[in-house]
Amino acid sequence: MNAVEVRGLSRSFDGRDILRDVSFTVGHGEIFGYLGPNGAGKTTTIRILLGLLAPGTGEVRVLGRDLAADDEARAHVGVLFENNGLSDRMSAAGNLAYYAGLYGVEDPAERIDELLALVDLADRRDDPVGTFSTGMKRKLGIARAILHRPEVVFLDEPSSGLDPGAQRMVRDLIIELSRREEMTVFLNSHHLDEVQRICSTVAILAGGRIRAFDSVENLTTASGRPSVTVTLAGAGEGACEVVGNLPYVTECDVDGDALHCTLADPTATPDLITALVGAGFRIEEVRRSSRSLEEIYLEHVGRAEDEA
Amino acid sequence: MNTFRVIAGREMRLALRNRSVLISALIFAVWFPVMSALSIAVGAEGDAAAVAGGIAGITLPVGVFMGYIFCADAFLREKRDGTIETLLCAPVSLRRLWEGKAIGVTVPAYVMMLLSAAVSVAAITALTGVSIAAEPLLILHFVAVVPVWIAASAGLIGAAQLALGMRENQILGFVFIFGFIFLIVVLQGVAPGGGGLSVTTEGIFAAAGLALLALARFIAGKVTKERIVRTIP
Repeated sequence: MNAVEVRGLSRSFDGRDILRDVSFTVGHGEIFGYLGPNGAGKTTTIRILLGLLAPGTGEVRVLGRDLAADDEARAHVGVLFENNGLSDRMSAAGNLAYYAGLYGVEDPAERIDELLALVDLADRRDDPVGTFSTGMKRKLGIARAILHRPEVVFLDEPSSGLDPGAQRMVRDLIIELSRREEMTVFLNSHHLDEVQRICSTVAILAGGRIRAFDSVENLTTASGRPSVTVTLAGAGEGACEVVGNLPYVTECDVDGDALHCTLADPTATPDLITALVGAGFRIEEVRRSSRSLEEIYLEHVGRAEDEA
Repeated sequence: MNTFRVIAGREMRLALRNRSVLISALIFAVWFPVMSALSIAVGAEGDAAAVAGGIAGITLPVGVFMGYIFCADAFLREKRDGTIETLLCAPVSLRRLWEGKAIGVTVPAYVMMLLSAAVSVAAITALTGVSIAAEPLLILHFVAVVPVWIAASAGLIGAAQLALGMRENQILGFVFIFGFIFLIVVLQGVAPGGGGLSVTTEGIFAAAGLALLALARFIAGKVTKERIVRTIP
């Protein structure tokens, strides 16, 4: 059973389709990045998963359960929205104590102390949250979201409004939660660099549809397969004729002195080089090529905009 | 710990920390009975029962208005700030959330109403010299009738604030207040003996209060999470 399952999900508001046949799954303990431009339907998906909005068609499950119909199931899920869910007039500890009461946290005082220390707010525990900076509120919001040790936590733009130091702290915290507490993290973020660093799997949502859903590793290697770029000493004319018919080469392209090959077998690079040298080509450099998540994201979003 | 107590307790603590709401409530709790004292004293002409009836008559709208003042903090603020969305994800039913908040509003509103009643009694006693402190029907009115009306108004206004958008809420707040006050005036008009304090009048008000409470509960049951989330500004 997956931690999160979305199958054939569609939803429209006032006649406008927001989500169209969206399907993906998130495995237990994964850090999943949900990407998409503003208005793509990311927050709508999260709201449907959390039972705040009803799906139009399709089915959603979190830990195998429907959170809309199952009050108890929500005790296993944490959530951080943009507003942090905190009262400005209550203290940091008071806010956490309130949610500890709602979620039935055992030994709340100890857990609150532990979390305030974790997010570096122990010395501000009794101060009203209204006196906190944006970054401090965000950190406290994360502490609130994981207070009850949820199995799945939904984080909506957790680094938004944070300075680079606080962003790094949030990143490290997410990785630690996933590793130490085996928490599944559903991360809704615009920080593509952040997603590439910490997420194991991503889905790109654009125009209401899932445009890509794969591991970060597969997405960032061309077409999900390893590719190499060989810089030749001199023009690369004829190189594709030499290697293009090799069984492990699926795509070949020459651009000046650069030969780009996509391989079916990631261990075939030495054989490719041997074939080129055997055909008389002189080689200056060989490197594995990969694309950044940002490039892939922009490509998919651009394609969706063209379709629209 | 019982989630109902957790929610209600938090709303009461927040009400005590909201200075602007407390000051508004205190001003109204003192100003309204002082302004009404003179007309009650003149109209009653030294009759203790008539004085008690006058005090009972003003404490209901005061209690309802107090409920409205505290609702703005408990329901509308959470919606305006968006924190209600996080609360809706907690393992608590929407009905339990509404009940906890409504009671969390009712308690401070009731305390303010008692303060207002004490000011009324003191002001009228000072003006007329009539002692009304131990009037049994008036005590019954404070203990049984007024809290039900405050709870009903807080529940209805709270449910409406959860279900409606911000613009509708601005209009609806006044509609509710005037609606409640109109209902009180109508009930005082139809009750035998007018607005005077009697077992029948208290029975009519208690029954109407319970009916309003049941209506509030029914309406709150119709509010959905989707409706709340889609009307967050």
